[in-house]
Amino acid sequence: MAGGAQIAAPAPPAPSAMGWLAATDHKRTAAKVAVAATFFFLLSGVLALVMRAELAQPGLQFVSDHTYDELFTMHGSGMIYLFLTPVALALGLYLVPLQVGAAQVAAPRLALFGFWIYLCGGLSMYSGFLTDNGAGSDTWGATLPLASSGNTPGVGMDLWVIGVGLAVLGSLLIAVTILLTIIRLRAPGMTMLRMPVFCWTMLATTFMVVASFPVMVVAMALLLAERHIGGIFDGATGSVAYQQLFWFFGHPVVYVMFFPFVGAVGEVVSTFSRKRFFGYRALVVSLLLFTALSMAVWGHHLFILGAVPNQYYSLTSQLLAVPAGIEYLDLIATMIGGAIVFRTPMLFAVGFILQFLIGGLTGIIVASPPLDYHVNGSYFIVAHFHYTLLAGSLFGLLAGFHYWFPKMTGAMLRERLGKLSFWVLVLGANLTFFPMFFLGFEGMPRRVADYAPRFGNLNLLSSIGAGFIALGILMVLANVFVSLRRREPAGDDPWGAQTLEWSTSSPPPHNNFGAALPAITSYAPLLDRREAEEPEREPRGAEASA
Amino acid sequence: MSRGAKGGGGPPLAWACLLLTLGAMLAIWSEGDPSSLLFLVGAIPLLALSAWNRASPAPGGPRLLARTSVPVVVVALGAALAAVGLTGGLWLVLIGSEIALFGVVWLAREVALERRGAGR
Repeated sequence: MAGGAQIAAPAPPAPSAMGWLAATDHKRTAAKVAVAATFFFLLSGVLALVMRAELAQPGLQFVSDHTYDELFTMHGSGMIYLFLTPVALALGLYLVPLQVGAAQVAAPRLALFGFWIYLCGGLSMYSGFLTDNGAGSDTWGATLPLASSGNTPGVGMDLWVIGVGLAVLGSLLIAVTILLTIIRLRAPGMTMLRMPVFCWTMLATTFMVVASFPVMVVAMALLLAERHIGGIFDGATGSVAYQQLFWFFGHPVVYVMFFPFVGAVGEVVSTFSRKRFFGYRALVVSLLLFTALSMAVWGHHLFILGAVPNQYYSLTSQLLAVPAGIEYLDLIATMIGGAIVFRTPMLFAVGFILQFLIGGLTGIIVASPPLDYHVNGSYFIVAHFHYTLLAGSLFGLLAGFHYWFPKMTGAMLRERLGKLSFWVLVLGANLTFFPMFFLGFEGMPRRVADYAPRFGNLNLLSSIGAGFIALGILMVLANVFVSLRRREPAGDDPWGAQTLEWSTSSPPPHNNFGAALPAITSYAPLLDRREAEEPEREPRGAEASA
Repeated sequence: MSRGAKGGGGPPLAWACLLLTLGAMLAIWSEGDPSSLLFLVGAIPLLALSAWNRASPAPGGPRLLARTSVPVVVVALGAALAAVGLTGGLWLVLIGSEIALFGVVWLAREVALERRGAGR
C-alpha cells in the first residue's frame, strides 16, 4: 500500500479550467509550476538575446545604458527566482511522492498556495516594465545603496522587491511540502537508506531552502521598508548587513538550482549504464556535508569588501571540493563497466557532468581571495556561473526532462530531434560562455552595455553562441510539441529503470499507485525485482543494496 | 492500521547539528560577528521537525485530501494583492486583505465539510 494512502475524496470533477488551476494533486501543481517557469524562462531568455545583440559589437546599438541595466537584472532575476529554482522544486514535487511510494504530497494545499504566490511574484516582477521608470535594474541581488529609493526611484523597483519576496516565499512553501513528504509519508519498507538518489538530493535541497529562503523573504521586506521609510540599512555597515542577508540566500540558492539535477543525472546514469548507483551511502553523506557547507560559504562574495573573515570563507569554499569530488566519483564509477546506452537523457547527463566540471573548477578560483580580487566583477564570473547554471543545471534538467517525460505524459520524445537539440545546445553553451573566461581575465567588466573595441571579436563569438542556445531550446520545444501531437506510447517503464515511479502507469493515476507497490528492498526496487526474476543474470555493480 | 514512515528525523537532526557547528566556527573565527546567528534560521526548524517526528510518528492509514481547492487560490491572490498594495496604496492592501480573509473563511468551511463528509 502506498504511504499515507487511500484518499477519501469526492469523484473526479469534470475537467475545467478552474478544476486544473485549483487542483491539489501534486502532479498537477508541479505541472503548473513547470509551465509558469517555462514561460518565465522564455521571457528571460529573450532578454538575454537582446543583451547579446547589443554586445555583439562595441558601442551602443539597440538599447540605452539604463535599459541594459533592466535587461540583465530581469534576465538574472527571472532565471534564478522564476525558472531554475521553481522548476527544480517542481521536479521534486512531481517525483518525490512517486519515488517514496506516497499517494500524495504531505500538504497539497500548501503546495498549491505556494504555486500561486510564486506566480503572482513573477508577474509582479515583470510588471515593472509597464511603469514609468521601468523594471528592477539593480542586479539580481538589488545591491545597496544602489537599490535605495534615492538611487533607483519608481514603482518598478518596488514591484521587483515585492515580486522577489513572493516568488521566494512560494518556492519555500513548495519545498516544505516536499520535505514533509519525505520525512512523514514514505511507504512501508521505504527506509531512509532505501530512498532513490533523486529523493536524497531533494531532501538536501529542501534543507537548504528551509535554512536560507526565510532570510531572503525578510531581506526583501526590510529592503522595501528601507525604500519607503529608511533607516534600516544606513551607511556602509547597513549596506554590508544587507549583503550578508542577501548572500546567505544567494549562494545556497545556486545549489538549490543544482542538486535536484545531480539526483536526476544520477538516476539517468544508473539506468542507462544498466547498473546500480555506485557508492550510494557515500553519496548520501557527501550530500549532507556539501549542502551544510554550502550554507557557510556566502562570505566569499564579499572578499573584496574586506568586511568578512576571508580565511573562514575561503576554507569552507575550498572544502566543497571534497564532497563534490565524491559525487563526481560516484557518477563516473557508476558508468565504468556498465553497458552504457546513449539515449538522449544519457547524452544530456554526460553533458552535465563534463560542463559542470568547468563551472566547478573555476569556482575554486573565485574561492581563493587573491584570485577573486582579480576576477571579481568581471566577465570571468559571468562565465563561471553560466557554466554551473546553464551548461550544468539546464543540461541536468533536460536529462531529467527527457528521462521522465514518458512517465509524465505517457508519450516518448523523438530521439533524433532530442540528440540534435543536445549537440546544438552543447555548441551554443560553449561558444557563448567559454570566450567570457578570456574576456574576464583580460579585464572586461560585467554589467556594461558598451566595452573597449579590443573585446569585440570574443563578444561576437558569444553572441553567435547565444543564437545556437536559442535554436537548441526551440528544438526541445518542437520535440515536445511533435511528441504530444503524434504520440508514441511509452508504456509503464520504457527505459528499464530502477525506481518505484516506473512501476505505476504513465501518466500515474490520481493516487499515484493503482495496484500494490513492489517489495521495497533497496533504493532500486525494480532492479531488485528484475534480478529476482532472472537469477541467472549476474547483477552489475556489486555494491550491496542498503 | 499500519504505522507510517519511521526514522525520518535523523537527517534533519544531523544537518542541523552541522549548521550549528559551522555557525559556532564562524562566531569564533569572526570574534562574535552577529552574522553567525543566521545559521539558527535553518537549525531551529529542522531540530523541531526532527523532535516532532520522533515524538509523533506519521500515523499512516487513510488521509483526507481534496481534489481541488478554489479557496486556496483566493487566499493566495488576496495575499499577493495585499503585498503589491505596499507600493500601490492602502486601498489595494485593504482589498487584498479582504479577499484573503474571505478565502480563509471559505477554506475553513471547505476543510470542515470535507472532514464531516469523511466521518459519515
